Amino acid sequence: MRFMMLMIPKGYETAEPGTVPDAAAVAAMMKYNESLQKAGVLLALDGLHPPSMGARVSFPGGKPKVTDGPFAEAKEVLGGYWMIQVKSREEAIEWASRCPASENEIIEVRQVQEMSDFPADVQEAAAGFAEMQTRSGQSQGA
Amino acid sequence: MRFMIIMKADKNTEAGVMPSERVLTEMGNFNEELVKAGIMLAGEGLHPSSKGARVKFSGGKQTVTDGPFAETKELIAGFWMWEVKSKEEAIEWVKRIPNPDNTDFEVEIRQVFAAEDFGAELTPEAREQEERLRAQLAAKQ
Repeated sequence: MRFMMLMIPKGYETAEPGTVPDAAAVAAMMKYNESLQKAGVLLALDGLHPPSMGARVSFPGGKPKVTDGPFAEAKEVLGGYWMIQVKSREEAIEWASRCPASENEIIEVRQVQEMSDFPADVQEAAAGFAEMQTRSGQSQGA
Repeated sequence: MRFMIIMKADKNTEAGVMPSERVLTEMGNFNEELVKAGIMLAGEGLHPSSKGARVKFSGGKQTVTDGPFAETKELIAGFWMWEVKSKEEAIEWVKRIPNPDNTDFEVEIRQVFAAEDFGAELTPEAREQEERLRAQLAAKQ
């Protein structure tokens, strides 16, 4: 089963453009990342620049509307994620609990949808998606 | 530059409502365009937060809470990872996300950290460790 661990750092919603984590935090996190890798569960991971450098697009009446960050009303924002492959939800939660997170940080654990999770008619309509993921993964190495 | 394109949740995604065949077909065609343009790196949907959990870190302890989580607008339902030249290019592609039923949904565009974005706080050792980790993950693809 695949799970995403979503890092929600408190205060990141107001972080200035160009904010980077400090060296000690990076070192501690890299140790954790290595432990995920050594255990064979790590599939992907990334850090995200703060929302002040991002944008949101909404579609009122079906028409795109772009808003630049930061987003005043956002109380929680994503700071980064891991994608892991484990045997159970409990194992995913255990890994999340081992993260050297800071005070008042939250990690949300969410199961990734697999094609086999969907009913037959949905699988048919979405046919080709798995192949697309493989092809796009291959182009990542380019 | 890499961008994470985040599909925010709504009451339908949180209720586990399946997208219509029309939406799925048009989304499939859109994904195909992204792959052909060499932009698509990854794309996944997430099960509703009712199947999820949150771990909160406070005072040296971890507290686990089961989903669902109340603030639907703050939750994510899925994401793409795209490789593009600029935030503007990412925005242009987002505007083209198929929407045959003219629903209002929200997409957040966030730039992914690359090694060159860090200064001295990413030591040479840490950089090497990071590169090694990425190479191992790429080999798994």
